[in-house]
Amino acid sequence: MRLPNINKLKKISNQARKLIIEVACCSKSAHVGSSLSCVDILVSLYFHQLHISKKDWDKRDIFVLSKAHAAMAFYATLALKGLIKPDILKAYLQNDGSLPAHLDKFTSKTIEASAGSLGHGFNMALGMAYGYKLKNDRRKVFTLIGDGESQEGSVWEGALFASKLGIDNFIAIMDHNDLQGYGRPTQICHFEPILDKWRAFGWDARRVDGHDFSSIISAFNSPNRSKPKIIIADTCKGKGVTFMEDQMKWHYFIVTEELKKKALECLCKNI
Amino acid sequence: MRSSVISRINIAAKNRDDIFLITGDAGFGVLDAYQKEFPGRFLNLGIAEQNTVSFASGLALTGYKVFIYNIVPFVLFRCFEQVRNDICYQNLPVTLIGIGSGVTYAPQGVTHYSVEDIAIARTLPNLVILSPGDPYEAELCAEYAINSKRPVYIRIAKSGEAKIHCRRPLSITKPITINKEGEVAVLFHGSVAIEAYNAVQELNKKIKLISVPMLNPVDFRALKQELRGAHTVVTVEEHFVDGGLGSIIAEWIIKEKTGLKLIKLGIRNEFIHAVKNNAGMRQEYGISAQAIKNILLKACRHA
Repeated sequence: MRLPNINKLKKISNQARKLIIEVACCSKSAHVGSSLSCVDILVSLYFHQLHISKKDWDKRDIFVLSKAHAAMAFYATLALKGLIKPDILKAYLQNDGSLPAHLDKFTSKTIEASAGSLGHGFNMALGMAYGYKLKNDRRKVFTLIGDGESQEGSVWEGALFASKLGIDNFIAIMDHNDLQGYGRPTQICHFEPILDKWRAFGWDARRVDGHDFSSIISAFNSPNRSKPKIIIADTCKGKGVTFMEDQMKWHYFIVTEELKKKALECLCKNI
Repeated sequence: MRSSVISRINIAAKNRDDIFLITGDAGFGVLDAYQKEFPGRFLNLGIAEQNTVSFASGLALTGYKVFIYNIVPFVLFRCFEQVRNDICYQNLPVTLIGIGSGVTYAPQGVTHYSVEDIAIARTLPNLVILSPGDPYEAELCAEYAINSKRPVYIRIAKSGEAKIHCRRPLSITKPITINKEGEVAVLFHGSVAIEAYNAVQELNKKIKLISVPMLNPVDFRALKQELRGAHTVVTVEEHFVDGGLGSIIAEWIIKEKTGLKLIKLGIRNEFIHAVKNNAGMRQEYGISAQAIKNILLKACRHA
């Protein structure tokens, strides 16, 4: 395993968060908290883990954002990586822009699958992992799901079958920020013991601090003994912007100019 | 018609290694040969329709040409949103093969009927809808789907359907005329074809008889051509009378101001509580050969 440059990743994550705040303010977009919680995971993927380059496009690793309401974080990460142009990101959610709030595959070749309704991307990613496995194509398939999303029956349908398929090229990450649209997953349903549940379904399940780059990256690279892998990443909704952290309202609230200033001040202090 | 479709897929799979067949725990006796010959390109994803459709879409995203086999409610109703978002929105080469069209499975109960599938499928952009009327048409539908790079839905009954064509038609992309002459035209799709066919044959009158296996898109230019000289169109389908071919034709008549008179035959839009077999249901809902004959007699008299 290549050693991650943690300082570099921290800086990029901070930039991504600032970009999310800028874009959220400009577009009056919701889902700011849901986006901020998964930034460190996305940055770990795109700036360390994924084999992805324009030159070698046909051999790239695949990432499917299943919790697609965090598209802002995804777009910001892609923009920082140079995979979508800054002016495309700027036009996010604007009339006649090309980026909608949830993913449309046809907007950019870097978006592997359209998603938005929960419990779809995870299962498509399973199919992709199996497809590449059959073709002896060694690339890996990653997907990011939400903890609220894991209430979808389709996730468990996929989970039940996946371990039979020998897809050791599949890595799911669950952004466990413990806040969904109208409550906490750990209170709404019998969420825990989440690791045991996945293990009982035949998965290699691990738990990490979803804001600790070295833990995330070592979980990506741990051997998974021919099983599909899921990494439960404990995160904080709104991470990085103190007044947004662990607040349900930041599933919905809009970043005004005034709040943008405050948020950017928080993020400048963090680095 | 089931085996006509699956045997075409078997043949194609011999020459093409991108063909993949998925079942949701159906296909006893139908998929055995395929499974035996191509075990690496076959999966039974079990009784899990949402995962099945999304998973199939994922396979298609890696370059596979995927067929999903199940009864209609389990390829279209249970997993509608997966069909909408994952297959159709992404315009992927996945074919849904739905068995048990209309009330084929009567009296299994409403849960196992598919009398609204075309109405539902018509709302999905990119989805080609095929409803073959006999084994020849079923074969052509399978060939169409095999060669298509888009989402396709094939609705078929089960096995043992009679042939309505004396030889293989050239194509299913246009309406197929069986009887050319007449001022009254019968349009139909699906396995109820035989009832329409028998009704027209038994009447021994000049009545146009036209099969419309491709319901989306319909080649209206060709249809207009075939309908030349007709003043009345009778649509016959084993589907809700509102929402299927009858509605497609009604919309077209209004849009094109053709002035054609339209009589729609099909299953009344209601939940079916009657316990009858397929033939009994066709009688009950006025789509048996006898019922069609009566309507045609009246239509011809009014001419």
